[in-house]
Amino acid sequence: MTKKIKLKISARLLKKKFRKKAAGSKKQCRFTNNPAMAADLNYKNIDLLLKFLTERGKILPSRISGNSSKYQRILSCEIKKARIMALLPFCATEY
Amino acid sequence: MFRYEVLFLTVPEITKDESEAIRTHFSKVIRAHKGSLISFDRWGKYRLAYPVNHNDYGVYFLARLEVDGENKEALLASIKEIFVFKFNTLIPKHIVARLDATAPLEYKRPASLEDNPQDIDSFLKRNEMEGLIKKGPVRKQPDFKNRTPEVDVVAEYDETEAE
Repeated sequence: MTKKIKLKISARLLKKKFRKKAAGSKKQCRFTNNPAMAADLNYKNIDLLLKFLTERGKILPSRISGNSSKYQRILSCEIKKARIMALLPFCATEY
Repeated sequence: MFRYEVLFLTVPEITKDESEAIRTHFSKVIRAHKGSLISFDRWGKYRLAYPVNHNDYGVYFLARLEVDGENKEALLASIKEIFVFKFNTLIPKHIVARLDATAPLEYKRPASLEDNPQDIDSFLKRNEMEGLIKKGPVRKQPDFKNRTPEVDVVAEYDETEAE
């Protein structure tokens, strides 16, 4: 005869497990997996840089975009260069 | 060999002669420092992200060049001279960036106003609403040069009324 063993898990751990499942898979850096995209990362390529800006023109944190710290550093440099050349706004203004 | 690129913003009213003058002076300076001009592209007219010198629009140019390690610093200093002192009325902003010498020279740039114009007719064409474009007879513009003088007639009328 086999005995059913009931495992006791605390409610806190169960919640944590559920939260991890709900969040989905882990975010991945778009540049490390795609070398062609990383080669295009440039202050002239505005269409790409616009994906990493908020509505107000702020740089998205890597916590949200999922970029690796290496590419986040490069990206922020390129965005700042584009801002100097008036290709991107420093902050959103009412025109 | 070191490869550089210079992106500069000019005023929107720049003429063809002025841009040609910038180009000839630029290539002359580069040749003096034993370098070579790879390309000199006109990007076109753009709406700027913020007004520069009270201008909402501007024209971008991109120049690419190559130099030896010896003449590198002298050339970069004289390039700065061109933009800051010689053509400072035409060029409000410039940036010099180092390029990878082995990488290909192709690049992506944002679409200019000349590539996709912003007037009403082109908007209707782009969104497949060509039925809304007015196709009626073209209204004749009044001919101001060869018009008959009407001033004399008015003067005669005034005289009759005075009597």
